[in-house]
Amino acid sequence: MPALFPRWSNSALWGALILGVAGLAVLLLAPMIWVRTPYDTHRLHPLDQPVLFDHRHHVLDDGIDCLYCHYTAAVSRTASVPPTELCMNCHGQIWPDSPLLEPLRRSWFTGRPIPWRRVHRLPDFVYFSHAPHVNAGVGCSSCHGQVETMALVFAESPMQMGWCLDCHRNPVPHLRPLDRITDVNWRPPPDQAVQGLLLQRELRVAPPTNCTGCHR
Amino acid sequence: MTTPTGHRLPLLEDDGWSRRHVLQLLGMGALAACQPPREPILPYTVQPAGVVPGKPQFYATTMTLDGYATGLLVESHVGRPTKIEGNPDHPASLGATGLQHQASILDLYDPSRARLPRRREGPAGWETFVREFGPLLPGAGVPPPGEGLHFVLPPTTSPLAASLVDAVRTRYPRAAFHFHAPLYARAADEAARAAFGQVLATQRFFDRATRVLAIDADFLGTSPFGVRWSHDFAQRRRVHGPADDMNRLYVVESDLGLAGAIADHRLRARPSEVPLVFLAIARALVRGSPRAPDALRGALERLPADLPHAPWAEAAARDLLQHAGDCVVIVGDTQPAEVHVLAHALNDLLGNVGRTVAYTPTAIVEAGEASFGLEPLLAAMDARAVSTLVLLDVDPVRDAFADDRFGARMAQVPQTVCLSLRETATAKASRWFLPGTHWLESWGDARAFDGTLSLRQPLVRPLYGGHDALEVLAVFAGLADTNPWRLLRTLHQRTGAAPTDATWNAAVQRGLFPGTAFAEVAAAFRADAVAPAVNAMATRARPGGIEIALRPDPRLHDGTFAHNEWLLELPDPITRVSWDNPAHVSHATARRLDLHEGDVVEVRWNDRSLRIPVLPTEGVADDTLALTLGWGAWVARERDVVGTDAYPLRTRAAPWDLAGATVEPIERPRPVGGTERVRVELASGQPHIDMHDRPILLHDTLETFRNQPDFVRPHDDRRPSLYGAWTQHGPQWGMSIDLGTCTGCATCVIACQAENNIPTVGRIGTAKGRAMHWLRIDRYRLGTGEDDVQLLPQPMLCQHCEKAPCEYVCPVNATVHSPDGLNEMVYNRCIGTRFCSNNCPYKVRRFNFLEYNDYEAETPKMQKNPDVTVRARGVMEKCTYCVQRIRTAQIEARIERRELRDGEVRTACQAACPTGAIVFGQVSDPNSGVAALQGLPHSYAVLQHELGTEPRTRYLAHLRNENEEVPA
Repeated sequence: MPALFPRWSNSALWGALILGVAGLAVLLLAPMIWVRTPYDTHRLHPLDQPVLFDHRHHVLDDGIDCLYCHYTAAVSRTASVPPTELCMNCHGQIWPDSPLLEPLRRSWFTGRPIPWRRVHRLPDFVYFSHAPHVNAGVGCSSCHGQVETMALVFAESPMQMGWCLDCHRNPVPHLRPLDRITDVNWRPPPDQAVQGLLLQRELRVAPPTNCTGCHR
Repeated sequence: MTTPTGHRLPLLEDDGWSRRHVLQLLGMGALAACQPPREPILPYTVQPAGVVPGKPQFYATTMTLDGYATGLLVESHVGRPTKIEGNPDHPASLGATGLQHQASILDLYDPSRARLPRRREGPAGWETFVREFGPLLPGAGVPPPGEGLHFVLPPTTSPLAASLVDAVRTRYPRAAFHFHAPLYARAADEAARAAFGQVLATQRFFDRATRVLAIDADFLGTSPFGVRWSHDFAQRRRVHGPADDMNRLYVVESDLGLAGAIADHRLRARPSEVPLVFLAIARALVRGSPRAPDALRGALERLPADLPHAPWAEAAARDLLQHAGDCVVIVGDTQPAEVHVLAHALNDLLGNVGRTVAYTPTAIVEAGEASFGLEPLLAAMDARAVSTLVLLDVDPVRDAFADDRFGARMAQVPQTVCLSLRETATAKASRWFLPGTHWLESWGDARAFDGTLSLRQPLVRPLYGGHDALEVLAVFAGLADTNPWRLLRTLHQRTGAAPTDATWNAAVQRGLFPGTAFAEVAAAFRADAVAPAVNAMATRARPGGIEIALRPDPRLHDGTFAHNEWLLELPDPITRVSWDNPAHVSHATARRLDLHEGDVVEVRWNDRSLRIPVLPTEGVADDTLALTLGWGAWVARERDVVGTDAYPLRTRAAPWDLAGATVEPIERPRPVGGTERVRVELASGQPHIDMHDRPILLHDTLETFRNQPDFVRPHDDRRPSLYGAWTQHGPQWGMSIDLGTCTGCATCVIACQAENNIPTVGRIGTAKGRAMHWLRIDRYRLGTGEDDVQLLPQPMLCQHCEKAPCEYVCPVNATVHSPDGLNEMVYNRCIGTRFCSNNCPYKVRRFNFLEYNDYEAETPKMQKNPDVTVRARGVMEKCTYCVQRIRTAQIEARIERRELRDGEVRTACQAACPTGAIVFGQVSDPNSGVAALQGLPHSYAVLQHELGTEPRTRYLAHLRNENEEVPA
């Protein structure tokens, strides 16, 4: 009786098996890699905004503190895009005729809000609050990156749960003195391991790692 | 903090690779494509002063019920009110709320509210209305002006309304005002007039009373003062140790009410018997007190000797006499005037006046003595003397007496104007219709039960463009400026209540003008009033047949809340039936008449009839059918009429108690021949009420407790457990619920629903047992027998077990324990296996079988609490101990670098509870209130001995203060 299968079918079988296993691995791994890509986390993707607002100019040239505009970050859940009124406090006097500020003036005179596009988005079941972070020595740039260098703001961090938990489990590398929260030039000192630990003691930083810390 | 160690089961060991990891991987494929759209950020253009996005604000305001003010604080998130709390400064609230206060926030956002003003011919705006009615009315210019102009308003305590009524009368001296509300207690006014010669309000101080006798009075439930009275009553009922004293409550009533259910002694009596039992008590009191006035003694001694339930009455009377001066006799508003007169006489006889009972001027505004009720209006309509009829926030076509035929009479009036929140029956019959405003949408004022002047501050502009009744009055008064805020400000400047901006702003901030309560009036009881009253009570015919008791509904009140889904879905506090108001009948009578639960019967009384399902239930007097008013509205959610409207049975001659009715089940032909009963399925929140000897609700007498304070201990011992301990650190949370002071009013249920975005599931969903309430009120039957039993309430919510059975069975770790002792529910992990619910011995876990939240209608979304997830289909949920409030307080404390204070975190149920039965806090802090309560001898955990679940929620056993002399 002749062989039912030709000789090459051995190789084909092995090939198919290997391809199958590899395919399975890809099926499993691809989504895991995918959800970590900046594309999926909307990271590093500058968004066009209705007003050509430039943080570089306001922070570096003018030296305006983060909390001057985002003043609720220290007291509330949200850091708040400032109301039009706050922009007009200055821009009623400075560049009052600039065509670039036309959307701002339109908002001011019509009373309609400026529809800013959301750069950092958390899922609805996450109840993040800025205030405890700002008051516990977590600086703006720790999560938002060097906003003062961004022409258009983009998300620096993936804002995923694993990323949150990394810091909640070990906040020491990210803590800075409270008077340097908004300091764009702050870099961890060489002895951050010690400084951070001291700050953690002093500020009694004990971030929650249980579910209802953030999900309610 | 302590870190207990224990043995860990291998299954629970984190070995790095578990079912959860596999499921994580499986879920990943689906994740990638699902990203919700990014909504824009819309900041304010001008941020209002004081508003911080992300932080709620609380404004003091006032809600009225039956005209009386209750001060409230309303939580507002960037301009949208979401939750109602009590105002601790307000005498009617003292920080707590009632059922209707909690639920009324839903009515604000109800999409079925009226939106368009119209004239019968077609749509017409507010401006047209002002143009038509602002100038002096045609035909009214010749003196005397105002002939034929009639107004109908609900009874009000508002000084602004009174001043506007005066202003209208200045312009139209012949205009007539009528105050109409179906539940308005005219009998109490008549009685005061007979007993004191003037209309006075009776103030009761239950916090000073050691004995209370309630005659057909559900003073803890349907009364508009129920919140304050529940608070006061609980002050004397709270027992923390064997040395503590406790009040004793006697109740005589026909249908079981909240007060009757927790009464120490309750007598079931038919409506016609109730006054006779009261007479028997009165006679025993008179016989026992030598200084009884002759008029009273003579009238009572002339009565026939065989008054019903004499032994019971005499025992109660002896007890009252022993506590003369610190007891209260209270009669319900459904009793006729003569019964109220007798109550005044007895309070006078017992020396309660000036101690537990006082009289003050009434807060209700009157516009002439004949202004209460509709009789003068009906006569004028019959005489064709009404040219313009203005109906403001009233619905007499539905709720006036049936024999008034208000709708037919109203059709003859040439010009009718109706203002109301909804397109009511009256609105449909009116020529002009104006959408009204919810109380959170307009300025106003009102007085509390004791006269305290309270301010109603709006939280939002009218969502549907409505106008307030006060504005309509201002239009008729010909005022150029009808803005209620300016009217209010001017009025209180003129009256001197708020002369300066500072006093005004302080009053607005507090919601009331301090020190404006009425002074007590020394009212002399007219001895000659009592004999006619006693005679009237005694000669009242003792009728045969079935008697009908019409009562206010504990949920919908008079029907004002008939469209409120929360209240409709709330199981009746006594019968646990939701989405319906079946007629209550005693088990014995049901058997005699061969009636079963859900049988639709035809109730006939004189020439009136009604079809309604019956419910054999506990505590109803025999041969009595108890019906509640206010149901039968068409509800958008059900696309159907919900419940049965009992107003068609109600007549001027017999507003509350109807005697000589017949009840017959309705039969219908069956397709296969013969007939069958017409039945409906009643949706019950708790179909059975037996504990089957399980130690769920522990209770005993005060005497037993004094002899053996820790009588609950055998049911509350710690048991060895196979399960390991979890790591504890931080504050440890726990709750104590006092079953001794819980009245089962269910305010906590609605407060929880409002706070935690709990959806309604509808009648069918409830019937299938899918109601979503995180906190429910269970009722358990005490005693043997069918009808003469006690039905005790027990609030049941997640017990936050330290050994939580739900946690062990969740395959995806969606329910886990937090270091501070909360049993956490993580919606975004839950895959809906429902294992946890099956393994929960307390049955407090609720599953979203369907998509119960409305994602389409825009306005109901505005009520949602932004601090709590709106759960979707397929997710389990349950009480979280209001974890959002805990975390908010913790963050506040952390920012201020301090420890949490005791009482800083108040759960929604705790804050709403009128009696303070619920206390929440840190059990780890020995100085906290909750730790003290949990350490009391009669504190126990439900089913701890049986299951060893070690709940963090503990109960104080119910104690009753029995009088041995009262025959069982």
